[in-house]
Amino acid sequence: MHRYLTDPFQEIEEVEGGLFKLNIGPQHPISGQGRFIVLTDGELVYDIEVDIGYSHRGIEKILEYKNYIQAVVPLERMVMLDTSNILMGFVRAVEELYGVEPPPRANYIRTIINELNRISSHLYALGLYAESAGWNPAVFIWTTVDREPILDILEMITGARWSHSFFIPGGVRADLPNGIKERILDTMDFLERRLEVYEDAWIYNETFRMRTEGVGVLPRDKAIEWGAAGPSLRASGVKYDTRLNEPYSAYPELDFKIVTHTAGDAYARGWVRFEEIKVSIDLVRQAIENIPKGPVKKALPPRPVKQEALARAETARGEINFYIYTEGRDKPYRVKISPASFRNFFVIEQMPKIQEIKLADVPPLIYSFDPWFLDADR
Amino acid sequence: MRLKRMDPKRLSELLKDRFGERITITSLEERRLFFKVDYEIAHDVARFLKENGFDMAITMGGTDFPKRNVIEIFYGVWSSTHDFVAFMKFDISRENPRFRTFIDIWPAVHNYERETWELLGVDVEGHPRLKLLLLPDDWSFEEEGYPLRKDFDSSRYRSPWGDET
Repeated sequence: MHRYLTDPFQEIEEVEGGLFKLNIGPQHPISGQGRFIVLTDGELVYDIEVDIGYSHRGIEKILEYKNYIQAVVPLERMVMLDTSNILMGFVRAVEELYGVEPPPRANYIRTIINELNRISSHLYALGLYAESAGWNPAVFIWTTVDREPILDILEMITGARWSHSFFIPGGVRADLPNGIKERILDTMDFLERRLEVYEDAWIYNETFRMRTEGVGVLPRDKAIEWGAAGPSLRASGVKYDTRLNEPYSAYPELDFKIVTHTAGDAYARGWVRFEEIKVSIDLVRQAIENIPKGPVKKALPPRPVKQEALARAETARGEINFYIYTEGRDKPYRVKISPASFRNFFVIEQMPKIQEIKLADVPPLIYSFDPWFLDADR
Repeated sequence: MRLKRMDPKRLSELLKDRFGERITITSLEERRLFFKVDYEIAHDVARFLKENGFDMAITMGGTDFPKRNVIEIFYGVWSSTHDFVAFMKFDISRENPRFRTFIDIWPAVHNYERETWELLGVDVEGHPRLKLLLLPDDWSFEEEGYPLRKDFDSSRYRSPWGDET
C-alpha cells in the first residue's frame, strides 16, 4: 500500500479495481490526532491502515535525561484523561527497582485517584462512542458534564483537574484534605443515579443495540494473538485485569470482580466499559471507608537494588507496562513503555481480515476500542 | 491440548532442560522470568514458549549498549494459561544490527518491531511492513540518526524555551 497521497489536500485516492483509499483524519472529527486510511469500494471496507505518530514526543528518550521524580511530569502527558493510571505503571516499576513498598495509606489514596480517573476516562470514552455511532449528541454532553464533579474532587485532592503529578515513587505527594470523604460519597451517589439514566436512554436502548451489535466481532483466540488490551480484551471473554491478576496498590484488599462479556463485538466493548464504571464506583466507596491512618510517603534509598523491572498497571484503555533498565544512577538507562492503545490500533488494522465491515460501521468500530493516539505515540 | 499450569520456577527448569547452557536465567520473581539466550536459538525458544502457552506478546523493544558494542533485543510474553510474564533477551551486534522477525510466532509484535527498526536502526528481516511509524515522514536516518541509540544528539531537539534537563 502507498503511504502518501500525491496531493495532500486530496482526501480520496483512486486505486485499481474500482477501489479507493479514503483518508479519515488527521483533521476529521472522528479521528483524533492520527489518520485511518480505509480501502473501500464505497460500501465495504477491505483494509484499514492506522497512521500513528502525529504526536510522537519521544517520551522514552526524554526519560533517559530525567531522574525518577522529574520523569513524572512528561510521562503524564501520554493520556490527559487518565493521567494517574499511566503514572501508576512507572511508579510501580521504580518502586520495584528500589525495593520500596509504599505505606498502606498511600496505596489507598492511589486506588481512589486511579478509580476516579478511570470513571472519568470511561465516561468520556462512552460519550465519544455514542457520538461515533450517530447517537444523539446529548449523551456526549451528559457524560462530559457528569465528569465535572469527579474533576472537582481530583482538584481538591491534588490541586489540578488533570495531570495531577500526584504520585511519586514511594507514595503520594500529600494526604487527603478534610471533608473529602463526604464529598466523594455524595458524588458516587450522584453518578449512580446518572448511570441509571444512561441505561434507559442509551446503553440498553434497542436502537443503539441494533447499531452496534455484531459490528467488529473479535474472537477470543484472535484477541489474545493480536494482543488486544483492557476492556477490548475482556469483551472477548478473556478474564484478565491487571488489578486482580497482578495485584497492586490497595486492590488485593478490596472486593471486586472482573467484568467480561463473551460477544466480542462493538456493543460488548461499550457495555464492559459501562459496567466497569459501576465496579469503580464500588471500589472508591470501599477504599474511602477502609482507608488506614499513617504516613503517605517514603523516601527512596540512594541506590536501586535491582537492575531491571517490568511493571504492569491497568489504565482505562487497558494494560500499560514499563520495562526499566538501570545502571545504578539516579536516571534510568532505558525505559520501554508499552501502552494499551498501541496494541489496540494493531487489532483495529486486523479487523477487516476476519469480518466484513461496512464503511458506515468504521467509526463505531474504532471508538468501541477507545483508542487514544497520544497514548500510542508516546 | 490442555496445558498444566506452572510457575516461573518450573518454566526456568523446562528451559534449562531443553536448551542447557545457551540460556541464562537473569532474574526469577513471583510473576516474572527474565532470561537471556543466544540469538541463534532465540526463535526456537520463542516457539517453545508459544507451545507452552505463552500466547500474548505484551512488549518488545531494544536497548543500545555502546560500551559492550551490542544492541539487546527483548520480548515480553504473557501467558493466558499460566498468568505470568516470560521476558526473553538476546544480543545482536551493533555494527550490523539485524535479526529475523518474530511475527510468525507472535503476530502482536508487528508494530513493536517496526518501532524498533526506526528508533534503534535494527534491520528486522522478513518483516512485511518496515516503514516509518512514529517518526516524521521527512526523517532522514543518514542526517539525524536513530533516536534511541545512545550516540543520538538530542540537543538538536531541545525546547526553544530553554534547557529543561
